[in-house]
Amino acid sequence: MNVVVVGGGIAGVSTAAALRSQGFDGEITLVDAGEFPYDRPPLSKDYLAGTRPARQLALQQPSWYDDQRVRLVNRTTVTALRPAEGKLELSDGTMLPADRVVLATGGSAARPPIPGIDGERVHVLRTVEDADRLRPALTSGARILVVGAGLIGAETASTAVRLGCEVTLVDPLATPLAAVLGPELATWLQDMHTWHGITTVQAAVESFTDRGGHVEVRLTGKAASRSYDAVVVGVGMVPHTGLAERAGLDVDRGILVDAGQATSNPAVLAVGDPARPRGQARAEHWEAAQQDGARAAATLLGTAAPAPTAPWFWTDRHGRHIEAAGHMASAAETVVRGSCAEPSFAVFGLRDGRVVAAAAVDDSAAVRAARRMIDRRTPVDAGRLADPDVSLRALLRPER
Amino acid sequence: MSNGIRVAALDDIPQGEGLAVAKEITGTADDIALLRDTDDTVYALDDTCTHEDASLADGWVEDGYVECPLHASRFCLKNGEVQGLPATRNTCPHRVEVRDGEVWLFPGEAP
Repeated sequence: MNVVVVGGGIAGVSTAAALRSQGFDGEITLVDAGEFPYDRPPLSKDYLAGTRPARQLALQQPSWYDDQRVRLVNRTTVTALRPAEGKLELSDGTMLPADRVVLATGGSAARPPIPGIDGERVHVLRTVEDADRLRPALTSGARILVVGAGLIGAETASTAVRLGCEVTLVDPLATPLAAVLGPELATWLQDMHTWHGITTVQAAVESFTDRGGHVEVRLTGKAASRSYDAVVVGVGMVPHTGLAERAGLDVDRGILVDAGQATSNPAVLAVGDPARPRGQARAEHWEAAQQDGARAAATLLGTAAPAPTAPWFWTDRHGRHIEAAGHMASAAETVVRGSCAEPSFAVFGLRDGRVVAAAAVDDSAAVRAARRMIDRRTPVDAGRLADPDVSLRALLRPER
Repeated sequence: MSNGIRVAALDDIPQGEGLAVAKEITGTADDIALLRDTDDTVYALDDTCTHEDASLADGWVEDGYVECPLHASRFCLKNGEVQGLPATRNTCPHRVEVRDGEVWLFPGEAP
């Protein structure tokens, strides 16, 4: 059996790595459009700030591909799948044998249909090329509007203000991320933007107008439009499902997959951002993509898939490290450990005497503990959870 | 073979946690993290994660591995081998011994 992985983001590279670590001895080919597979999280932080060079974005050391016998076909895209013939077609016209295909095609930054969205000074941030195009605009004193205060938007605003820009951050929600982090922590994070000199505005964008040299932006509910030197739109991503659609696979707001990442054609699997487990939402997080890769490898090899864990993500902004695990929306109540006024602190979401979610500022151990509590369904006492003097590791241990 | 340096009492390191020993004491290029596993065995690794600037002594120690407090790359406590992304390089292990409740570190010596 030979496997072709289409796309060299975290999902694709993790699939190749997991195939080898699980003992696969056949050929692995990784087809990627870029120069080399790279990690995206630093694109809105160190890389955008210019403090980390491109080569340090590499997901694997250059020697890894030889060591692991992963054939990297870079600067190439796949133009068509032919699962019935056991091959696929590359952008240079060649055909590649492929007994099994893993689609790790990622996606593009969303550009909602706002007038002027395609203007030269309106940026998005998803790729190295996006970051390279944005960086020269982030000069000291530049007026920058960031649209969307989720993860990418808030991180980009944080980097821009660090570079000396005059930053405005606009989002239609009063407290962005409250649904995933809980209101306490989300409020604190939103306030943190203000402490760092960012102007936060609750609104949506009606239009962008390029005035040559600057962009005029009209926001909902505001009488006057305002001018900015550049705009960054961070409002989510659009999964790349075209290859799957053209190959006749089931696609519905993502490439539909089963619990083992198999698509409607068992010879084709899908992982990472574009993969959507039937009946669920797409995950769109770094670790989820990595775990998809491990699950896809297990499916291809017929081995046991790793046990699912509570979803987890991090975001770094204004020098603070934020982590979250589980599903805060399913919590019946929240408990704060520490003081919400000052880091470090953590928020736990509880339901029926068990932790279902957690989020923390500068306290990753709290989230790592919570994650294990969620996975092991450990019964917990809310009062002890809230008490910083009680060790979370102790709460994890079974009662003796 | 040196006699090692007495760097801590075992009780200074809670189970499942770590303690960083400054490079001024160890004489190594990096600080060294003492990591007490869930079975109470103590290990020592170079403290700085090979991915970004984070102290493994602040990480989560469990069942033979330490998880970096920033982006959760895992390293094997015994040999410093990286287990998963985003880190791609191993960290360096050092020999450590616990005698009469005292932790003795042998910087630069293989375990």
